[in-house]
Amino acid sequence: MDLDFTKEQKNFQIEVRSFLNETLETKVVEKVKNGVPITKEDSERWHKKLNEKGWLAGTWPKQYGGQDWDVVEKFIFEEECGSAGAPRIVPFGVGMLAPVLMKFGSQEQKDYWLPRMLTGEDWWCQGYSEPGSGSDLASLKTSAVREGDFYIVNGQKTWTTFAQHANMIFCLVRTSNEGKPQEGISFILIDMNSPGIEVRPIITLDGSHEVNEIFFSDVKVPAKNLVGEENKGWTYAKYLLTHERTGNANVAVSKRKIQKLKKLADDAKKNEQPLSNDPMFASRLAQIEIDLQNLEITNLRTLAAVEDGEAPGAESSIIKILGSEIEQDIDNLTRKSLGKRAFVNEPDALSSGYNGAEVFPKAAAYASGKYFNHRKKSIYAGSNEIQKNIISKLMLNL
Amino acid sequence: MDFKPSPERQILFDTLKKYFENEYSLTDRNISAHSDLGYSKKAWEAMRDLGILESLIDPEFDGFGGTALDISTVFEALGRGLVVEPFLEVGILAAKVLSRGNDYQKSLVKKILENDCLPILAHSETDTEYTKSFVETTLSKATDGSYTVSGIKRMVKHAAEATHFLVTCRENGDAFNEEGISIACIPTDRDGIKIDSFATIDGGRVSDLTFTNVNISSEELVGPLGKSYSIVSQAIDTGILAICSEALGIMERIKELTLEYLKTRKQFGVPIGKFQAIQHRMAQLLVEIEQARSSVINATIYFDDEAEREKTISAAKFSIGKIGTLVAEESIQMHGGMGMTWEYDLGHYAKRLVLIDHEFGDEDFHLQKYISL
Ligand SMILES: Cc1cc2nc3c(=O)[nH]c(=O)nc-3n(C[C@H](O)[C@H](O)[C@H](O)COP(=O)(O)OP(=O)(O)OC[C@H]3O[C@@H](n4cnc5c(N)ncnc54)[C@H](O)[C@@H]3O)c2cc1C
Repeated sequence: MDLDFTKEQKNFQIEVRSFLNETLETKVVEKVKNGVPITKEDSERWHKKLNEKGWLAGTWPKQYGGQDWDVVEKFIFEEECGSAGAPRIVPFGVGMLAPVLMKFGSQEQKDYWLPRMLTGEDWWCQGYSEPGSGSDLASLKTSAVREGDFYIVNGQKTWTTFAQHANMIFCLVRTSNEGKPQEGISFILIDMNSPGIEVRPIITLDGSHEVNEIFFSDVKVPAKNLVGEENKGWTYAKYLLTHERTGNANVAVSKRKIQKLKKLADDAKKNEQPLSNDPMFASRLAQIEIDLQNLEITNLRTLAAVEDGEAPGAESSIIKILGSEIEQDIDNLTRKSLGKRAFVNEPDALSSGYNGAEVFPKAAAYASGKYFNHRKKSIYAGSNEIQKNIISKLMLNL
Repeated sequence: MDFKPSPERQILFDTLKKYFENEYSLTDRNISAHSDLGYSKKAWEAMRDLGILESLIDPEFDGFGGTALDISTVFEALGRGLVVEPFLEVGILAAKVLSRGNDYQKSLVKKILENDCLPILAHSETDTEYTKSFVETTLSKATDGSYTVSGIKRMVKHAAEATHFLVTCRENGDAFNEEGISIACIPTDRDGIKIDSFATIDGGRVSDLTFTNVNISSEELVGPLGKSYSIVSQAIDTGILAICSEALGIMERIKELTLEYLKTRKQFGVPIGKFQAIQHRMAQLLVEIEQARSSVINATIYFDDEAEREKTISAAKFSIGKIGTLVAEESIQMHGGMGMTWEYDLGHYAKRLVLIDHEFGDEDFHLQKYISL
């Protein structure tokens, strides 16, 4: 066993750290560290800076503008970004669609779409879920019928994150009703500005707008936007989902959030003592810390297996469950640590233009909102119940 | 043994339940709950006309209720309706305090019923101290016999529209000392009061109130100088009983919504309630909610028993805190994405349920208090 980084890896870590130090905007870091939402513009500026450095898509092969990072380099980069309070890289393009295109897309598709992800010309969203098809994704109904050089798409997608920002969507659509439902699904890229597309906001319980419904009526999509083969979309979709889930450990982000929580608890008072000295609070916090330390190793073990050439399989389900639940636990305790201040919900309090009363501590601006918003973590990317079904089937053979 | 409510209370509960179902639309509620005022004056007046306030207030003050059982019955119904109007703040906290005051202050209780006055208890001072005797706001006597009040009260609900603040303060003693606490009844247009108000996650608004050398006369003290802790303490205990009952009403509604969803939402060709993984989670919720109800019944039974009240109240608040969060989280999870939306009722119930743990002491606080009693 050797958990130390090599000399090169350590140097890389230093390089990342100093880059983040020089490049991150204080205002944005403040938002991230206090858990309040950042704007589309905040994200775009950050993507741009990363791209200038060549790090927006570090895991991509060099030929497409990446750095060919291995899992350890990816880990180091994410760890440093997480602890520095860098905005999350919006994953739909570079993290999700790109691996699918690289593995299953045509040369033309790779050459056209990949560079645009880096420059930010395209903002992608993920059109998988439908009103009737959430956990049972394979039952999806949105149809694509081939007519000459086009597919005609009809149906509805829902829960589409950031569709309001997106100009492109990758969709799972039904191209056949023969055989098993999985065998009639195709993977297609659709321009959000096509006639016949309507986006309606879904406001979440915390009052924010991040998800949407999308209606497709007779939308004409060029046939060349089909990825891979017709009716093979399920294979590509599953490939993408495994990528989506391994990225869910979020260890560095959770560590940073625990640091923040400790600070809040040091500054708050219960029975005239710092809240962090309260035995009930301390016990709750310690349990989360231990869970997170364990997850860090569990995650590294998964990464090591991937490094050895094993494809991430049901292990990614373990990571998804733990990553989401630990982050939810931290959000829960953060809310608790604020006491009565947890009633406050002023997510814009750290943005310019806010003219309400000052929120103090700043983390209170959206702590309860965040707690409720992050209930999504055990629901999306395959609910945690579905992950347990996968584990039962693939690892336990039950 | 009979745990059934009296026929009168059952009728009261059923009437309110029906009223909220038919007249108190959650869509409208959510708009007013998150407006600048934080509630609807129209709904408040309509509910006052219905006699809800009277049912919380003693006959001595022109009400027709006010016992622990009345309060519990009404607040369970208010919880079902997810009512955001200030029944707790005005009908319980302020009314309980004022009813222990002088004749003028007592007359304010009657004025509440006539909708001429909206008094609000301003007690809480730090965000994370829940101990009832924690008061640092000062009361200083001037040479002419009048007083000044200075200090900051934090996270006071529905304060912006108040006509009077009932401000706990002390002339002497340490922050946690039960001795030395007085209550000042201050008209809100008095000089020296600053209000900073915030939107909330569960509806209604909260404010931080800064009192800077606010002048009051000695007649504006409620209850005996320096010896008014028991007044606030009992008002808060009544408040705890009220919001625990509110939580029960919310949980019952959440249970109905979730059960309905499990029966109608289909995935993999069957209602999701057919999956045993889901059945067991739902069954566990039912078990927990029954325990929550028992804790509230226990607190109601012992409410007028001086020796047992605080302990059963802490037991109930602990149970509600622990179970409430579980019920909120599990019900959202079992709804999938639908549970995350603003448009669907569940999330609004879940938010209020979780935030009840932040009022008058959370589960940890009350567990520790229970141990200490
Ligand atoms: C904030 C948010 C963002 C999202 N972003 C996107 C996005 O960008 N793109 C996209 O395509 N989708 C997105 N989703 C959708 C997400 O993937 C789905 O919500 C998820 O797959 C669950 O589906 P559902 O909501 O229909 O719940 P359902 O499938 O109806 O599930 C309801 C409940 O039943 C349980 N359940 C279902 N089947 C079983 C079973 N067989 N055994 C045991 N329990 C079961 C579930 O675990 C859940 O608890 C997002 C969702 C949210 C909340």
